[in-house]
Amino acid sequence: MMPRLLRFLAPLPLAIAAAEEPVDFNRDIRPLLNKNCTICHGGVKQAGGVSFLYREEALGKGESGKTVVLPGDPAASELIRRIKSEDPDEKMPPPQDHPHPLSSEQVALLERWIQEGAPWGEHWSFQKPVEPPLPSLANSSWPKAALDRHVLAKIEAEKLSPSPEASPAEWLRRASLDLTGLPPSPEEWEAFQQSHAANPQAAMEAAADRLLASPHFGERWASMWLDLARYSDTFGFEKDPHRDIWPFRDWVIQAFNADMPFDRFTEKQLAGDLLENPEPGDLIASSFHRNTQNNTEGGTDDEEFRMAAVIDRVNTTWTAWNATTFGCIQCHSHPYDPYPHENYYQFLAFFNNSEDVDLDDDFPRTKFADDPAAQKDAVRLEQEIRRLRESLNDEAKSLATSLGDWRPFIATTATSSGPAGKLSPQADGSILASGTNPPTAIYTLSGPTSSFGAIQVDILTKHDDPKTWSERGAVISKLEASLVKPDGSRQAITFKEVVADFLAGPFDPNDAIHDGVPGFGDYPMSRGPRRAWFVPDQSITAADGDQLEIRIHHGAVCNGNNQSCILNRFKISLSADPRLTALLQTPERAARWQQHQSLGQQYAAIPGKMIPVMREREAAATRETRVFIRGNRMTRDAVVQPAIPAIVGGTPGDKRLNRLDMARWLVSESNPLAARVLANRLWAELFGTGIVETQEDFGSSGLPPANQPLLDHLALRLRVHHQWRIKPFLREVVLSASYRQSSKLSAKLAARDPKNQLIARGPRQRLSGEMLRDQALLVSGMLSRKSFGPPVYPPQPEGVWRSVYSGDTWNTSQGEDRYRRGIYTYLKRTSGFPGFLTFDAPTRDVCSPRRISTNTPLQALLTLNDPAHIEFAQAFAKRMSGTTLEERIAHGYRLLTLQDPPAAVIATLSKLHADARIDYEKNPAESAKLAPGPDEAALVLVANTLLNSDIALNR
Amino acid sequence: MNLFQQLRFERARHTTRRHFLQNCSVGLGGLWLASQGHGATLKKDPANPLMPDLAHFAPKAKRVIYLHMAGSPSQLELFDHKPELTKLDGKECPQEFLEGKQFAFIQGVPKMLGSQFPFHQAGQSGQWISDRLPHFESMIDEVCFIKSMWTDQFNHGPAQLLLHTGSALLGSPSAGSWATYGLGSENANLPGFIVLTSGGKNPDAGKSVWGSGYLPSVYQGVQCRSQGEPVLYLSNPDGVSQALRRRTLDALNDLNQRVATEVGDPETVTRIAQYEMAFRMQIHASDAFDLKQEPEDIHQLYGTAPGQESFANNCLLARRLAERGVRFIQLFDWGWDSHGTSAVDDLKTSFANKCQQVDQPIAALLKDLKQRGLLDETLVVWSGEFGRTPMKENRGGVEGSFVGRDHSPSAYTLWMAGGGVKRGFSYGETDPIGYEAATNKVSAHDFHATLMTLLGFDHKKLTYPYQGLDQRLSNVTKSSRVVKEIIA
Repeated sequence: MMPRLLRFLAPLPLAIAAAEEPVDFNRDIRPLLNKNCTICHGGVKQAGGVSFLYREEALGKGESGKTVVLPGDPAASELIRRIKSEDPDEKMPPPQDHPHPLSSEQVALLERWIQEGAPWGEHWSFQKPVEPPLPSLANSSWPKAALDRHVLAKIEAEKLSPSPEASPAEWLRRASLDLTGLPPSPEEWEAFQQSHAANPQAAMEAAADRLLASPHFGERWASMWLDLARYSDTFGFEKDPHRDIWPFRDWVIQAFNADMPFDRFTEKQLAGDLLENPEPGDLIASSFHRNTQNNTEGGTDDEEFRMAAVIDRVNTTWTAWNATTFGCIQCHSHPYDPYPHENYYQFLAFFNNSEDVDLDDDFPRTKFADDPAAQKDAVRLEQEIRRLRESLNDEAKSLATSLGDWRPFIATTATSSGPAGKLSPQADGSILASGTNPPTAIYTLSGPTSSFGAIQVDILTKHDDPKTWSERGAVISKLEASLVKPDGSRQAITFKEVVADFLAGPFDPNDAIHDGVPGFGDYPMSRGPRRAWFVPDQSITAADGDQLEIRIHHGAVCNGNNQSCILNRFKISLSADPRLTALLQTPERAARWQQHQSLGQQYAAIPGKMIPVMREREAAATRETRVFIRGNRMTRDAVVQPAIPAIVGGTPGDKRLNRLDMARWLVSESNPLAARVLANRLWAELFGTGIVETQEDFGSSGLPPANQPLLDHLALRLRVHHQWRIKPFLREVVLSASYRQSSKLSAKLAARDPKNQLIARGPRQRLSGEMLRDQALLVSGMLSRKSFGPPVYPPQPEGVWRSVYSGDTWNTSQGEDRYRRGIYTYLKRTSGFPGFLTFDAPTRDVCSPRRISTNTPLQALLTLNDPAHIEFAQAFAKRMSGTTLEERIAHGYRLLTLQDPPAAVIATLSKLHADARIDYEKNPAESAKLAPGPDEAALVLVANTLLNSDIALNR
Repeated sequence: MNLFQQLRFERARHTTRRHFLQNCSVGLGGLWLASQGHGATLKKDPANPLMPDLAHFAPKAKRVIYLHMAGSPSQLELFDHKPELTKLDGKECPQEFLEGKQFAFIQGVPKMLGSQFPFHQAGQSGQWISDRLPHFESMIDEVCFIKSMWTDQFNHGPAQLLLHTGSALLGSPSAGSWATYGLGSENANLPGFIVLTSGGKNPDAGKSVWGSGYLPSVYQGVQCRSQGEPVLYLSNPDGVSQALRRRTLDALNDLNQRVATEVGDPETVTRIAQYEMAFRMQIHASDAFDLKQEPEDIHQLYGTAPGQESFANNCLLARRLAERGVRFIQLFDWGWDSHGTSAVDDLKTSFANKCQQVDQPIAALLKDLKQRGLLDETLVVWSGEFGRTPMKENRGGVEGSFVGRDHSPSAYTLWMAGGGVKRGFSYGETDPIGYEAATNKVSAHDFHATLMTLLGFDHKKLTYPYQGLDQRLSNVTKSSRVVKEIIA
């Protein structure tokens, strides 16, 4: 059908203020202003100095000096005069761009509103939910739970009545598919029937409990969450290579199965890495925001795509938790809602300090141990190693920064090995590189020296203004130094350690005194000037006439291994102070290095996979966050600190907030949105349409709730009563009178409430792509119930995967992996699994808050003709048992629907079977392609027909 | 009848069909839904979202065939004649050309590179062209060049997304999706937006370049194949004849009709119609993709050989699909990324081979559309996703022995033919070395605004509400203008 997203199309009739009732700003006026005025007079533009975003602005004067809205006096309000004006140069909205002027009713409404004092109201979703009073009802026997009372109040207000209760079969199949994504097995149905006959309520409660406790519960609900998490098994973008991040998918499944409360679920995914004592799974959980895309296309700017990932994290967080179009304020203040432009960068600052930088290896990564029991040790070791390494650096750094006698090393010669490269010593002692210096350029400097204890290297930025810092990184791969005697003999200096201003990025500064991997510097982008101290084994004694020769090797490349990270400007200084050299020689320090090495060995010895993880940069390495002027990362403005927008409960304070504080705010009582958004999402999963239909937008550009008392009740029920536990919440809903209704509907009700927002009938939804596959596997007896692990490759047509620069191939899984649940299917961003994409699954490129159900011929072709679906039909046909054809058909029908087939259905399918059999008997070669004999082949067609029937495709 | 009247007529015909379905089955589809966008009132029948729709005004083009050379061919070796650059060949690139620029692969100070092939003037219009496209040259008087295209993306994936969806990031609908959303499909038995690929790979940005983004998925491009089944799952399974398929559908319709009556869900009725359309698509798509039906002279014209995956075959298929009323036909040919790092991406050899592969089929497509009277109402567009640098690539800071150019976002050439654009015309210029678009610059957003205009839409009014904005192809957050100067 047509998208449910066409949200402006035919919403439920808006209740407009009746003549005697006062005008309600949110219900009556804000939508008028938003639709007709705020696009030019709001957060983006304030044409003529007029804005309708805040009351004080609307009550102010425009550039013309006239008062826009004068409470109590419509005639003196410029707003009304301009709307009513007949002069095309004055009339609002301007007739050339707005061919449809406001109707006379709408104008009258605005006048009445001003007459009544132009009261303002905060948009509904910014006000905290309050438990609504229980409504009084005409039919008090129908409700089973408080939620039903709110549903019924609306139904009664519309002069309708609820539908009768669904049959046990309809309810059980619906609840099973809704809760576990699988239809009931014949045994489960049999048992339910018996207990239902004895005690319907007890039977339904027991069934709900069984379904909620099923290990398949998490597999079904993870699909919903993974759409939001944009989980995929590949990086995205051009090359779209494989990414091992499936342990995150498994973590989500397990969290749903364990009914982890949503507040903890939130903290772990947004800030698991910042928890004081992380549990073994918490680092894996923090991979939530490592599901962003990573661009490995040759030559792409790593900083551009790091920033794209950070922006995606901001937008995803706001979409998934708060259903807010926060992305709007990346470039300007929100057009409709009171979010100023800076709010975006204040919030972005929460995410701007993670270590990941769009590198091809997905750095940083954490270990997912093969043996779950070893995960605890892996997490502990990782933390200990990091802390120890930082403390070793910090100890030496605090001494290095206290040395006072640094003097510049003046190079008398400075050359680059690049044939077209050039080094120019500057007056301030720094050295500037120019020309073409290849990634492996070697700089050689030499000049007179006296005795020294340590070498200080400053890597400087090309430009001095921090606003312009978007420079490529600069990394010293190795630094060598020698004393050259007047006679030409050389004395190589050996270094003990490299001490850095801070530790960040994929390289260890100490590697700058060894061959091989790069060592010290900012990579792949420069955050600003860097400083390191190269400390020799012992103080160097130089005699008169001795020259110091320093060779700086490069080797780091960024932007998909294409651009060199060489030093553009740097400065070298020397200190004669021997204390730093002495500190590094102490046995205590040697013992700690020994321990560091041994912890590293223990960590390496744990077998496992490395998966991308969130990791915060240390305090000294914090990245500055600046406002991007008009959203452009190349034009930077003032520095901002992390903060939560005031409109949703943020309060200024002295403490610098971090990601964990932000995660805790999201699920706190002070955030008016998250509980409503989640309750609405769960409701939409069960009923097909959310109470707020625009699940992705609770702002004033979204649709208002069809039943706000119901939404607020559910939100508080979820957050307060159930303490954010999803299972008891779902239990309450599936056992409610609302959910129990039959989904049959009259033409009248279909026309009146096509999206079932009144809930005057039970839900009827098409199965998702995953459910369709899983149901077919289950009824055909082929379903593997194996959980977790690397993604699998069920059959898909040849040639679907054809990514550039990728040797990845789809190797169809063998054995039971061929028949796993849909959630375990390999998901490649640039080339999705056709069986899911065709049925409206998103590509997982970005956060997808809602799947819009469509109904297309390509879906029909898939379920009719896909060889995988034929395989299902063949197995399903074999399972249809009975002594007569009619019995076999009836059995198949019951397996799929739990119901006995009407005689006419048996007749139709028997006739199909008879016709097909005659055909196959004439054409045994054709028949043999489907089944051993004509009779069985004809039954495969019957099975294929049943699996394609509307009743099978829906729940 | 002009195009506008024709569309009106077709719409009326389909409306009648809709009423027929509605009255003869159980309440098909339910409501007509009306948008409340600014000015535009786009109504969509939920049961038939691809029904032909009226444009805002009389369209110049009824359909589009977009030939995308993925990887981006060099404008400096084909259409943008730069004698000044030839004079600078081998000299070091001046610093001011490098300041503030981002390159994918060029490092430090590269050398200038003159065109590798001679240019001459061709046709009555006297437009400049190199010697690499002799067949295409014969049709040059039909062609309208824009030599001043520019983009702000210097990598393939993002640049392709920007050119086809109006945004360099994933998630926006492609031009073809907008066209089918706005105009529907003229052929109920084929997808309205069809994509064909050649060169052995999908384009860099993957299937997102024909994705429907935030538009309903029914408007996404359907990737068809010139080898094997043209549409995924189009063929009946082994052992199921078309007659048996018909029987199973009859039985299925029986079952579903019962459900429709009993449950009353309008979706069930829609589903019956969609299964019937799938059945018709099996026949019509197979027919449309059967190149064997073409006579020998046509195969000679295009240089086609049925059964292969080739750009030539795709060009011929494009004509067959255009004849059948497919709204948007997009061809991606992979292999144009001439960096000059080895023989496979060398300008002198591999680029020349690619030119040879596409020259004859493109000329044939234009000629064939013209001889069938289809060129006037079909807009053919050709481009890469960006241009190539006037500097020689020096990957890794080293001069290679092969010749190539790096990505250059600041200037590239796009041409159009037919469908309401000026014939034998050239618009916009680059600077004397072909580095930056200098006069009459055209961005992707300007191109989209122009494309929508040619299809009969006010580009600011064909919108869809998403994330709080009335979104459009020409990108509501960016400036754009209709390039009226190229419209005939």
